[in-house]
Formats: sequence, C-alpha cells, structure tokens
Amino acid sequence: MFAEVLKALSDGFLVTLQIFAFTLLGALPLGLIIAFGSMSRFLPLKGLVKTIVWIIRGTPLMLQLIAIYYGPGLITGNNIWSYSNGRLAAVLVAFIINYACYFSEIYRGGIESISKGQVEAGQVLGMTKSQIFFKIILLQVIKRIIPPMSNEIITLVKDTSLSRVIAVYEIIWAGQSFIKGAGLIWPLFFTAVFYLAFNGLLTILFGLAEKKLSYFKS
Amino acid sequence: MSVLEISNIRKNFGKTEVLKGISFTLEKGEVLSIIGSSGSGKTTLLRCLNFLEFAEKGTISVNGSVIFDGDSTKKMTDSEIRSNRLHFGLVFQSFNLFPQYSVLKNVMLAPTLLKRGTPEEIEANAKALIDRVGLSDKLDSYPCELSGGQQQRVAIARALALNPDILCFDEPTSALDPALTGEVLKVIKGLKSSDRTMIVVTHEMEFAKIVSDKVIFMANGVIEEQGTPEEVFDNPKSDITRAFLSTSFEKF
Ligand SMILES: Nc1ncnc2c1ncn2[C@@H]1O[C@H](COP(=O)(O)OP(=O)(O)O)[C@@H](O)[C@H]1O
Ligand SMILES: [Mg+2]
Repeated sequence: MFAEVLKALSDGFLVTLQIFAFTLLGALPLGLIIAFGSMSRFLPLKGLVKTIVWIIRGTPLMLQLIAIYYGPGLITGNNIWSYSNGRLAAVLVAFIINYACYFSEIYRGGIESISKGQVEAGQVLGMTKSQIFFKIILLQVIKRIIPPMSNEIITLVKDTSLSRVIAVYEIIWAGQSFIKGAGLIWPLFFTAVFYLAFNGLLTILFGLAEKKLSYFKS
Repeated sequence: MSVLEISNIRKNFGKTEVLKGISFTLEKGEVLSIIGSSGSGKTTLLRCLNFLEFAEKGTISVNGSVIFDGDSTKKMTDSEIRSNRLHFGLVFQSFNLFPQYSVLKNVMLAPTLLKRGTPEEIEANAKALIDRVGLSDKLDSYPCELSGGQQQRVAIARALALNPDILCFDEPTSALDPALTGEVLKVIKGLKSSDRTMIVVTHEMEFAKIVSDKVIFMANGVIEEQGTPEEVFDNPKSDITRAFLSTSFEKF
C-alpha cells in the first residue's frame, strides 16, 4: 500500500513541479516587463500597469484561477480549455499572471533602490541604456531581491495546490483521492513531506546564491 | 582654438534659475578650478557639460565645433548624446564605482563595451592607468575592500580609460576623511600635463591655488569672478569673492 501511495503522490508531485517550473519560466521575465511598465514615464501605460497589478495582487489567486478557467466559457459559450492539457494550461496562465505581478513589485523595489549614481557613472562613460541595465544594474538588483524572491518562490510551491479547484491532478489531489477510494487519510498528510523536502532544497539553493553574491556590497 | 568654449549656459529647475548665463573658455592642457559656496550651481554646471542635465540656453563647443546648442529645436538622439558625452569625463564626489567588479574590471568595462581596442590593449591600458593612480597591488580587489581615497583613485583611472578631452572632478575629496584627501589631490596634480584639460570643482583652496591655471568663483548661478589663481586669490575684485575667501581660509 505504501508503495502505491508513494507512486500516486510522486505522479501528483510531478504535476506540482511542472506548475512550479513553468510559472517561474513565464513569470520571471514577464514580471520584469511589468516592472518596467510600472516605472514608465508614459503615464497612461504606467497607470494601466499599476491598475492591473493592483487587481491581481488585491484578489485571491483562487478566484483568478476560477475566472480564467470558467470565464471564457461563460462569455463565449464554449470552453477554450477543453483540450487534453487544457486545465493545466489555464492554471499556468493564472499563475504566471499572478506571480509576474508580485515579482514586478519586487523587481521595481530592487531597481529603485540602486543609487542613481550607478546609472550616471555608466552614462558618463558612454554606455547605452541596455548596457547600463545589464552590465551594471542587474546583478546589484539580483543581489538585493534574493531574500524577497525566495519568500515568494517558496509561497509559489505551496500555492500550486490551489490548482486542485479546477481539478488539476497535482499532489494534494493525489493525496485526497485515497480518502474516498481507500478510506485512508494519511496519504494527504504525507504530501507535506514532499513540500518540505522541495522547499528545503530551494532554501539551500537560495542560501548558496546569496553566498555567491556576498563578495560585493552595494 | 580653445578645447572648450561654453557660452551663456542657463539652467532652471522648475522656477529656480540655477545657472544664469555661464561663459568661459579653456585651452588645451589647462586646469580650471571652480570654487564657490554650496548651492551656487557648480555641480549643475558639470552635469550640463556631461549631459546628465540639459541646459535651456547656451552653447558648448569642443575643439571648435558646437556640440550643444540650447536654442536648437532638434532634440539630440541617444547616440548623439553618448558620443558628446565622450568628450568629457566625470569623477563624482561619491565615487560611484561598480561594486560587483574588481578594480581592473571597473576600469576596463567601458572601453570593452565601447570596443576601444583589442582585449589585450584594453587590459594593458587599464593596468597602466591603475599603476598611475598607485593601485597596482589592488587590481583584483573589490570596491568594498578599498578605502575612500583608493576608491576615488580607481574612479579617476576609470574616467581616464576613455581618454576624454576634458576631465571634470566634482568635489573629488569632499566625501573623504581629511587624512585621505592628500593622496587623491596628489594623483590629480600628477595628471596635469600639456595635453590633459581638467575642470576641478573643489573646496581645497590651497590645492586650487597651486594646481590651477584658471580659477572661477561662482555665486548664485553666475561667475562672480574669474582669472589666474593670483588674481582671484590674492587680488579679488568682488566683495562677494573676498567674503567667500576669507571664510574659506579661516580654519578656526
Ligand atoms: N535636480 C534638481 N532639482 C531641483 N533643484 C536642484 C536640482 N539639482 C540642483 N538643484 C538646486 O540647484 C542649486 C545648485 O545646486 P548645485 O549645482 O548642486 O550647487 P553646488 O554644486 O554649487 O553646491 C541648489 O539650490 C540646488 O538645490
Ligand atoms: Mg556640488
């Protein structure tokens, strides 16, 4: 029985990891674009971006998931997520948008905390805007945002469980299925082991990254 | 032909006029010191020369060609601004070294990005400049491992690496412990040569007196007095200059 539970939970956790990995892959770059939008000197763009960020950060992710999965069907009358991996796709869209908004605020804080003198030093040395950003600013921003980012990313690991509201077969769903099917409650609680192990690993990785960047102060 | 000629530079921040028509010329190899009480517009003037700010009026000419005209309706493109900036170098009061790069990399970064030679040439030139500021033993150190005076000397080497026509210093020793100002001033003094033109904003009157060919005293956004160090320091014509100098030399 234990082997069977382990197998089911592992399968579920694989989906959890997929949601986690693809969300990061999409939200990390999208967040940077949103951050630039929210710092734009073009006020209509800035206003629009800030409003979107406010809505996304101000409402529950669970509600956003439901809206993205059921919303299009309610409006157009047919479910755009009906293909085989449709539910997972809907989850990813919701998660990427949600996390990109959170990341954008972290990026923005990080970028704005870098002294203006760094940009000006690059400018008087004839560098282009993108050289200044990528060669001077970015690493300093990364160093500063590792602590808030690691918080957010560890939250993401746990938030993946929300996708069960639209019946995506992730690890919580896998654990719960043993309650009805076999009358077992412990598999559900056993999922915690997976979360703890994975978040432990992430904590170690973030610690290493922080250590690697400790050679400079900014 | 003057290496730098600026004429009637005016700059406002909102309603406050900060520069009210600044004009002067500088010949190649000359050192100009700009003195004046804080708030008189010295930093703003240097920032206008380096295109960190844009004057509303006036012209800036380098080696006889106008590179900035406040009356021109055409907006400079980013690449024009960048190439104009390269006529000038700027050493900041707060050093602004790039913290994540070693001393050598700080000096090499801009020449590398601007493709000023082969990697070997750029490195050799950077090492020679670091040697000139007396930091050959710190090539691989990071800014956080250096004293303020050492950081400022690296910043000077970094600015020299692009070989600007005119090198500007904005109070290069104001952020330093008094014990460390000497090493930086010595380096600046050592840079004086027939082909290096420099503008130094400073509160170090003794230094200005010894090093400069020309001194400008600024007050409230205008040049109150200019001339040779002897003229300005020993025989000031304006009462404002006299009042400023007497408080500046008054140490106790
Ligand atoms: N970015 C700015 N916005 C508004 N006012 C400024 C700005 N920069 C400088 N000023 C004002 O311009 C005046 C001259 O400043 P500054 O050039 O820094 O003088 P100095 O370097 O001689 O001390 C000061 O009154 C200062 O408050
Ligand atoms: Mg100043």
